[in-house]
Amino acid sequence: MALEPTCLALLALRLERRANTQVLLDTQHPDGSWGSFATDDEASGLTGLALLTLNTLGTSPGAATRAADWLLGAKGQEASWFWKWKFRTTDKRVRFDPDKFGWPWEPGTCSWVVPTAFALLALKQIFSCCRKGKVAYRIQRGVEMLLDRACPNGGWNAGNGIVYDAAMAPHIDATAIALLALRSEPRNELIERSLVWLEHQVCLCPAHWSLAWSILALDAYDKPIDSLQHRLATLAEPDETCDTATLAVVALALDCTASGNPLEVVV
Amino acid sequence: MTRRAALAGSLGLAAGVGTSLPFLVPRYDRDRRPACSRVAILPVAEYSEKLSGSLWEGLELFNLNVTGKSVLLKPNLVDYIPGAGINTHPLLIVGAAECFRRLGAKRVTVAEGPGHQRDTQLVLQATGLEQHLKEQRIPFVDLNRDEVVKVRLRADYSRLKHLWLPRTALEADFIVSMPKVKTHHWSGVTLSMKNMFGVVPGVKYGWPKNLLHWRGIQQSIVDLVATVPIHFVIADAIVCMEGNGPLAGSARRLDRIVLSDDPVAADATCATLMGLAAERVPHIAETAKFLGNTSSDRIDQLASTVISPAVPFGTVPEFEHLRSSPRAAE
Repeated sequence: MALEPTCLALLALRLERRANTQVLLDTQHPDGSWGSFATDDEASGLTGLALLTLNTLGTSPGAATRAADWLLGAKGQEASWFWKWKFRTTDKRVRFDPDKFGWPWEPGTCSWVVPTAFALLALKQIFSCCRKGKVAYRIQRGVEMLLDRACPNGGWNAGNGIVYDAAMAPHIDATAIALLALRSEPRNELIERSLVWLEHQVCLCPAHWSLAWSILALDAYDKPIDSLQHRLATLAEPDETCDTATLAVVALALDCTASGNPLEVVV
Repeated sequence: MTRRAALAGSLGLAAGVGTSLPFLVPRYDRDRRPACSRVAILPVAEYSEKLSGSLWEGLELFNLNVTGKSVLLKPNLVDYIPGAGINTHPLLIVGAAECFRRLGAKRVTVAEGPGHQRDTQLVLQATGLEQHLKEQRIPFVDLNRDEVVKVRLRADYSRLKHLWLPRTALEADFIVSMPKVKTHHWSGVTLSMKNMFGVVPGVKYGWPKNLLHWRGIQQSIVDLVATVPIHFVIADAIVCMEGNGPLAGSARRLDRIVLSDDPVAADATCATLMGLAAERVPHIAETAKFLGNTSSDRIDQLASTVISPAVPFGTVPEFEHLRSSPRAAE
């Protein structure tokens, strides 16, 4: 059981009776997090995706609460005073503001775009109103982190916008996932630029995973997706490089008009 | 001396010891250096269908026995940036697959786990590699999403002790590291040993594999190559990269491919071809103590001699000290 394909598959099958979250409940760690796979006893950066999945399927509020508590306590290493100081004074090769932090892939490492975006989606969904205290603080910091780590001309990659004064290129999937997480935020120039970049890139995108994530993001921003869905549906049959996670996100993208978009968290 | 100067000196000494200590205490299981390593530097002026012919002639110098073995080709596929030569060229990869099949390999698989780009299929498609692999019926495994096994590391520089590693890499009989020869803003160079970061699975460690950075890139490289053996190296040094590599540097031609049965000897040779001092690259210097050879009296150069360029490869400021004065190594 790998966490990401399991969660995406459960989201894709959420309207089916077969969608059973028991596998997530069985593999949740006592502290509320999940490992990257069943036998992984360390916390995964995709715990936010697991919480989003549980909450979307509307089961096990106790498990969801434990996961939310874990997310509120987990943070990128740059949030600690020592590393904040180091990134401000001596280690300035990657341009970012360490005051703006989110969630890491692994405990004890820096915040990155994808785990932060999934954590934000999960927290925004489970605390859909009346956010106060730590909830409001973590969501605000996470949103600021995403905006801070964007590529200079819009879009996101793993989380390094500028390294040694060189602008890094964005990635389609990371941009789409970050945009989903920022859907309920006030539209600003960076978000608009990122949307334009994504719409342009997706026209040429030949890969299932990136195209599917783009459709979900553009759908959340009310952009036309009919032709993209048609193209996704007519792409060559997935070959051996197309894994369960990709199949699941493709199913979500093809079905989002008819059955709703579970990655669109509107508050 | 003032108290302030003494305190600053003590702190500096402590920081120096802290940085150097991992490389002062032996942290490997045993000395596995071969008595003699072999390297072949082959002149190749362009990426073309003729590449596999040149490669075949080079491989014949080594009398490799891969009959009945499963061969895993591990290229360097970082990302796709139009116009930027950041990846091992597809023609070299398929040429290598063709050669190892011809040498009698039971199975040849291409496998990689890109460090930043989560959409591996996009990299394969955009670089044109996917089409080549389909035409030649060469299987590809995404090491970022492969089944993983917890493995005890055979060296202890990073203090990680264990890593989860992909089953496909662990079960291969013969691993060929196929780096793109580049400078690297975090590790100085990215050659056959740094290339093995691609076997560390994103499904566990994320994109990028940031834990390795936090535990020390140089230390993590040593632990990784001590644990996952590189049996052979085919380095793409035709069009290389200098400056702010591995993504944002400038193209630099060397017009060569480098073959070796020893990754340490291969990387030392490539560094010299780049005009960089191999002994100043910590992971090359450390692996030279127990894994492979850098000393010229323990390396047989089977083809051309190693010549440094008149102008060394450019680096980011932190690695300026790698740039050696122009010389012929042999």
